[in-house]
Amino acid sequence: MSLVGDAWIVCAKELRDALRDRRTLLVVLLSSVVLGPVVLVALSSLVATMEARAEQREVYVVGLERAPTLVNYLQRQTWRVMEAPPDHEAKLRDATLGVPVLVLPADFEAALRRGDAPRIEVVTDSANRQADAGARRVAQALAGFNRERAMLALALRGVAADLLEPVQVDERDLANAQARGTQITGMLPFFVIIAVLYGALNAALDTTAGERERGSLEPLLATPASRLSLVLGKWGAVAAVAMLIAVLSCASFLPAQWLMRSDTLRSMFQFGLREAGLFLAVLLPFGAALSALLMAVAIRCRTFKEAQANSSVVIVAASLLPMLATLNPGAEARWQLWVPALAQYTLMTRVLKGEGFGAEQIVVPLLGCALLTALSLAYVVRSLRAAAAR
Amino acid sequence: MIRIEGLAKQFHAGGRTVPAVCGLDFDAADGRITGLLGPNGAGKTTTLRMLAGLIDADAGRLEVDGLDVRAQPRRALARLGLLADVRGLYPRLTARENIVYHGRLHGLPADAAHARADRLAALLEMTPLLDRRTDGFSQGERMKTALARALVHDPPNIVLDEPTNGLDVVATRALRETLRHLRSAEGGGKCIVFSTHIMSEAERLCDRVVVVAHGRHVAAGSVDELLARTGATDFEEAFVALAFGPAGAAP
Repeated sequence: MSLVGDAWIVCAKELRDALRDRRTLLVVLLSSVVLGPVVLVALSSLVATMEARAEQREVYVVGLERAPTLVNYLQRQTWRVMEAPPDHEAKLRDATLGVPVLVLPADFEAALRRGDAPRIEVVTDSANRQADAGARRVAQALAGFNRERAMLALALRGVAADLLEPVQVDERDLANAQARGTQITGMLPFFVIIAVLYGALNAALDTTAGERERGSLEPLLATPASRLSLVLGKWGAVAAVAMLIAVLSCASFLPAQWLMRSDTLRSMFQFGLREAGLFLAVLLPFGAALSALLMAVAIRCRTFKEAQANSSVVIVAASLLPMLATLNPGAEARWQLWVPALAQYTLMTRVLKGEGFGAEQIVVPLLGCALLTALSLAYVVRSLRAAAAR
Repeated sequence: MIRIEGLAKQFHAGGRTVPAVCGLDFDAADGRITGLLGPNGAGKTTTLRMLAGLIDADAGRLEVDGLDVRAQPRRALARLGLLADVRGLYPRLTARENIVYHGRLHGLPADAAHARADRLAALLEMTPLLDRRTDGFSQGERMKTALARALVHDPPNIVLDEPTNGLDVVATRALRETLRHLRSAEGGGKCIVFSTHIMSEAERLCDRVVVVAHGRHVAAGSVDELLARTGATDFEEAFVALAFGPAGAAP
């Protein structure tokens, strides 16, 4: 009747019990392991569509034959220029036409030659997002046309074209591709935290409040096994389930990125074995601490239902704490690593940015998890006997 | 052998102090069935819970085979089998797994625990149930499983809290037979204590009845002795006289 021996017996029984709960297990697996990659793949196809649209260079023109100069310029810039259908306004309104329309005056070419600045209407519908995005690109192309005409005019008069641009503007973006990608993949750490939480939830509640509700805690405490060994065994089983979910949800992102349709997103989202390993280094201790915390919350409750209501505090906290990081988008503060859930979110975001983290960054969250685990388990041990007396 | 002396327990609820057990004494010998008979709220369940170390006594002494439960709970518990009023089985585990789990926690090796489950199943006539999940069990089947679980470590002392609650006639009779067997020399000559509020249960089964009211012992003896003492011909009359009469009135 050793501490470890008894704890092992309890752990094996609780694991068997949890694994027999097929329906709950299936829901947890589906929601935590399948949903993440599905969201990622869906996101990637969305980004791919947006990219395809960004490259689309098409424009419809009313009065194509009136403006050979403009059409020539647009075609040199690899635009496809087509005659607009007569009902283009209606089509733009109901979004069956995803391309902006240029309306040219009848004497466009002559006015242009005279230098009368003829008016071009760019017709779009701001509720039609596809056409609206195209309109911005068409406007840029028209600005280019203006610049070219102006330069030609100045060159004819012997004026240097540089006068038109007294200042040169160059942009230099310091973010690497992975860091840019976190704008899109930033939800993944949040997602795996929630997956681990829901993975632990059912098992944690079943081994504490569920055991009280069934009345099986009383006979269990009447065995000579020590309370500490019972609690350690139960926690071991719950933590094992949480860790299993953590491993599965991290592993599920590996095949997910092969399915991603956007090349840009794929190059931004680099999630290999190294990243999965770093994620797990953060998530496994977190899963263990979360299991202990949920058990501590649930042991006070007489029924499973009551425990579910009480554990929503933990769920809300684990969902909201990472948001502190997004509210404060600047450099991460030192204190962030001391807050559970926020620390894990911060470290996983670093991994996704391609920055990784060193031993000194993981030590603080590890200590936090160990402290939370020890306090929670001590509380469960202390409450266990009071819990048996209904 | 179970001995209880001067046992006292108060509960605190909403600022009020409710005495549950006040100075209860009784003892139960080996090879005997001792009934703890009393009305609802007499403190029977509280007493048995304290005996099983589930709640702390305020005062008094609880002994199992000479071991002080309050001082050496784990050693005392190893010599005690408890059938609680709520059966508390794990519905996703089979009857065998329920029994073996407790056997292992009592320190039995796995094969010994399995062998013990088989023997108890034969004794309780529940062998066909053994490898079914307890989810859909009837009250009688649940009681048998819980009893087998309580007996898995072959304890010399058996404590049952309202064991016939919710059982039909057939299951009640089977339980009675089992308890008589456990009392007999071939069944191990166990010391059996059970609580009940049902007269006929006590009358049919008990070698000795301890009448409890308001947390105190009011009388003890065989059914015949209690009848003789009260001058009643009917055990129910005798019980009412003892539990609610002058001796059992609330202080």
